[in-house]
Amino acid sequence: MADKEIALMAHLMRRAGFGATFEELEARAAKGYEATVDELLDPEGQPELERDLMMRYQPQWVSQAGLEGQQEEWTYRMINTKRPLEEKIALFWHQIFVTGHAKCEYPKQQQIEFDMFRRDGLGKFDNLLQGLAKDPAMVFYLDNCMSHKDAINENWGRELLELFSMGVGMDGQVNYTEEDVKECARAFTGWTVTNSIPRYPYGKYEAKFIYDSGDHDNEEKTFLGETGNWNGEDIINIVARQPGTARFISRHLYNFFVADEPQVPAWQNTPPGDPEAIKALEDEYFRSGYDIRSMLRVLFNSDAFKNARFAKVKSPTETVVGTMRLVGDFDLPKPGMNAMALNIRYMGQDLMNPPTVEGWHTGREWIDSGTLVERINFTADAVGNTSHPGIQSIIQRLASRGPTISPEQLVDGCLDMLGAYELTEVTRNELLAMSQGEGDIRTGTQEFESRVGQMLQSIVATTEYLFA
Amino acid sequence: MTTSTQISHIQLQYSHTIGRGEQFGPGFTYPIQMARGESDLMYVLCRSSEYRPEGTRIAVCTVNEEYVNVFARGVSQQGPHEYNFEDGSLVWPTCIAIDSQQNVYVSDEWLNRISIFNKDGEFLGKWDISEGDGDGEINRPSGIAFDKDDNLYLVDSLNHRIQKFTKDGRFLAKWGSQGSGDGELNMPWGIDIDRQGNVYIADWRNDRIQKFTADGEFLMKFGSSGSGEGELNRPTDVAVDKDGIIYVADWLNDRIQVFDTDGSFVTLRTGDATVSKWGKDKLDANPEMWGERDRAEGLEREKLLWAPSGIAVDDENNIFVCEGPRNRIQVYRKQSPTFAGPRL
Repeated sequence: MADKEIALMAHLMRRAGFGATFEELEARAAKGYEATVDELLDPEGQPELERDLMMRYQPQWVSQAGLEGQQEEWTYRMINTKRPLEEKIALFWHQIFVTGHAKCEYPKQQQIEFDMFRRDGLGKFDNLLQGLAKDPAMVFYLDNCMSHKDAINENWGRELLELFSMGVGMDGQVNYTEEDVKECARAFTGWTVTNSIPRYPYGKYEAKFIYDSGDHDNEEKTFLGETGNWNGEDIINIVARQPGTARFISRHLYNFFVADEPQVPAWQNTPPGDPEAIKALEDEYFRSGYDIRSMLRVLFNSDAFKNARFAKVKSPTETVVGTMRLVGDFDLPKPGMNAMALNIRYMGQDLMNPPTVEGWHTGREWIDSGTLVERINFTADAVGNTSHPGIQSIIQRLASRGPTISPEQLVDGCLDMLGAYELTEVTRNELLAMSQGEGDIRTGTQEFESRVGQMLQSIVATTEYLFA
Repeated sequence: MTTSTQISHIQLQYSHTIGRGEQFGPGFTYPIQMARGESDLMYVLCRSSEYRPEGTRIAVCTVNEEYVNVFARGVSQQGPHEYNFEDGSLVWPTCIAIDSQQNVYVSDEWLNRISIFNKDGEFLGKWDISEGDGDGEINRPSGIAFDKDDNLYLVDSLNHRIQKFTKDGRFLAKWGSQGSGDGELNMPWGIDIDRQGNVYIADWRNDRIQKFTADGEFLMKFGSSGSGEGELNRPTDVAVDKDGIIYVADWLNDRIQVFDTDGSFVTLRTGDATVSKWGKDKLDANPEMWGERDRAEGLEREKLLWAPSGIAVDDENNIFVCEGPRNRIQVYRKQSPTFAGPRL
């Protein structure tokens, strides 16, 4: 297998999923790049998670688990899914269509929302927005249940335009006005949730969306220059056909899957880093009828994507989940899941509990002196544990290269096994110098295992390993 | 799915609900299983979770919902903590059984341990069992049940077999292997033993119940995958009453089903919960919630069973359904026709 094919496959799996073991990379590279893209884009062609096992061993995931329990469950799903893009697209939408656990009365309300992302997140964007507008987690989070025909609350109407579809502007121009926000909010009056059952004595129940026609503003509205007796569905249909929406979604896809872009608030006045790639995605958005799967097929098969190796800082979720998939831990529920999943929070991404409606700032903003230490300590602990099956597999793989391996082979072999990582010359020389001091190593010894573990730890502590 | 309208010699009458969600005091935290003790005592095994490990315990109450005490609580502080792996603590408890001396045995599928307490909760000891698949070794034990001679039958779930021990933990016998044929098992979970000593197993991933002699000879099976009458979706537990009527916790179908002695379907229930005594106390302490209940949409959902994991029956024809996600136990009573002469 050519090294560059493995390297490209490693890149694809880090972005469209959460990374892969070297054995999986080889198997996927043998199938071919485009075939793998097609497979990733068709999650339902792969087996579902064994939900019965999850519930048997972690019964609290069934129901009333608080934030930490919900985080455990999602982290477990991401580690063990055979449908990596299904979970990745759910994560993508969660980072855009922000809701917060603290504003959900029913603990699993966000998981129900994420099920929608899993089911519809690769489909038509307008269909997804329609679902989002009726999603009880969102209705409650952005207060649309408090928006009445005689007293609108603009929260949902504003964020739908500003953060969920068009963005405030592009190419130095605004995409909508304050009046459009108000008209949008008017159109969504009456979109609310039913009264909930109180938490005592048996816990909460799933919230239900309801359209209250008596509380809907039936008067004429003018939105983005179009006048009519608009209801919420009409607003979404108008929004979906805006060039600003095509640009906004394309930039989000690029920022999440290809390369770090400036933070979203800068997009009105900061052009895309790769305008051609964004234009290709915008064109596909309209050509396909707003189809996210079609856009991603264009994206993953583009040179812009293939040439963007290590152009993104891994998010905390990608770091923790990718590490667990690599080392082969938590492939069956066991105690310790809570402590493990909390590392995502410690690295700065409290899943289901974002800092604001704007979500998390990404890219280099994931890293500060505190989160860097958390990230390196967690990753180094995991890859340095040579009892993990994934690390054992790496050791055996390297040992199969001969009775001894050189320091150079150790460095490059470990880089390969971690997903065809590349280091700057300076960093590689430092690792080489560290390894050369101890000379050639006899494989199949305890010392060899330790040296592999130490080398893996050194690699994951490099600046380069922060990137995906 | 439709409920049978067939006339049957067995009827279930809803009685009452016990429980509310609490880590301390009256209440349960994910009650996964229970066992009836002497007089009207109930020992309720609370599994709880890793982020609330203080809720993992055995809660003792009466059938009439009088709180008695708790024991086997390994973590006393609130909030996320590492589990306590020490003797007398529980990590992933799965089942509870009571011997003729009223001692309480608990299986723990993470520790691969059987812990023993007296009826007042004092820790008496544990079985030192090695993890493995040899005779007397276990891998994630789930259901346990005593026969009339105080031998303990243990469901050795990841070894897909049943093992029989003395009450002191000495290995006696085993049967079963992984598969779907007669007598084979796939990650079995619950167990019960009838008056004749026959053993009933919730053959979890085969979606069926199997019946064996006390020596492990295959006698009968019933159930298949699905949600129709008599079909099962990952049955977690089985209980057999003094007349041989069989009750099954049909976990992922969110219901219980009742089968006749020959395994034929009799009836099913999807839940009838009402506000428990402890629940009423909680609502009285938070009176605004009574008003919220009046305004709530879909309060009838409160009745429904959700992932019932444990089912038990006592000699008074009470059927107890442990409903972890709702932190409660729904109690039914079996009713049989009254004729002149001996009753069924």
